[in-house]
Amino acid sequence: MLKRVTNFALTSVMVLALGVMTAFATTKTTTIRVTGMNCSHCSSSVAKALKATPGVQEAEVSSEKGEAVITFDDEKVTEAKLREVINGAGFKVAE
Amino acid sequence: MVQVIFLTALLALFPAQIFSQERKAPPLTLKSIEGQTVRLSDYRGKVVLINFWATWCPPCRAEIPDLIKFQKEYGKDGLQIIGVTYPPEERASVRRFTRRLKVNYPIALGTREIKASFSRDETLPLTVIIDREGVIRGTIAGILLPEEFNEQIKPLLQQQKLEGEIKDAQKSN
Repeated sequence: MLKRVTNFALTSVMVLALGVMTAFATTKTTTIRVTGMNCSHCSSSVAKALKATPGVQEAEVSSEKGEAVITFDDEKVTEAKLREVINGAGFKVAE
Repeated sequence: MVQVIFLTALLALFPAQIFSQERKAPPLTLKSIEGQTVRLSDYRGKVVLINFWATWCPPCRAEIPDLIKFQKEYGKDGLQIIGVTYPPEERASVRRFTRRLKVNYPIALGTREIKASFSRDETLPLTVIIDREGVIRGTIAGILLPEEFNEQIKPLLQQQKLEGEIKDAQKSN
């Protein structure tokens, strides 16, 4: 009987913990200023590199505005990583 | 009615050619920045990547170290990258730039017409994938990501390697 109660309690705690973790996993949207996107034909590389990054759900890059608007899962990717990806695509993140 | 029958017949006979980008690569002869003639036909039997790029294009510059790495690593498997500048740039400045980066594949100065003969896509960088039979297997717009290399180019290289091994085995028998 005691074993059954313990098992039930453990399962309940695990289900509750999973629920709490899911509730706290948030989708964030950030706008990052990017410099040097003077060439409209090459700025699409930034969006491509961002979209290929695990955790990024949406990335819109505007060479006119000089910014990238990114929607991402902050459990899977950090803003620092997103900045790194933009730098890796050849452009510079404005601090 | 005749048009419908004609189109249906066309679709039935040439589905791959109609629905995919696959077509024979146009002939290409260019002078490299080192003064050598670069002919696409000379690379028949290799998997060729024609990389359209420009020194003023930040993503083009960013992907060059990866292209150098791919050429070094997969050259023995039959990979040949050819860099073609677009739009035309000064030979001296391109040479300075590529020497500084120690680019290990031929670089030639291109024109808008040359790029248009391979693709109408204006994106830079742009990489055209040509298989060992000289057929365009696709284009990659923007930086060539390692995932894209693994998915689209590696299978072509492996296919070539396997066929080469079969030929070698046939010769030795």
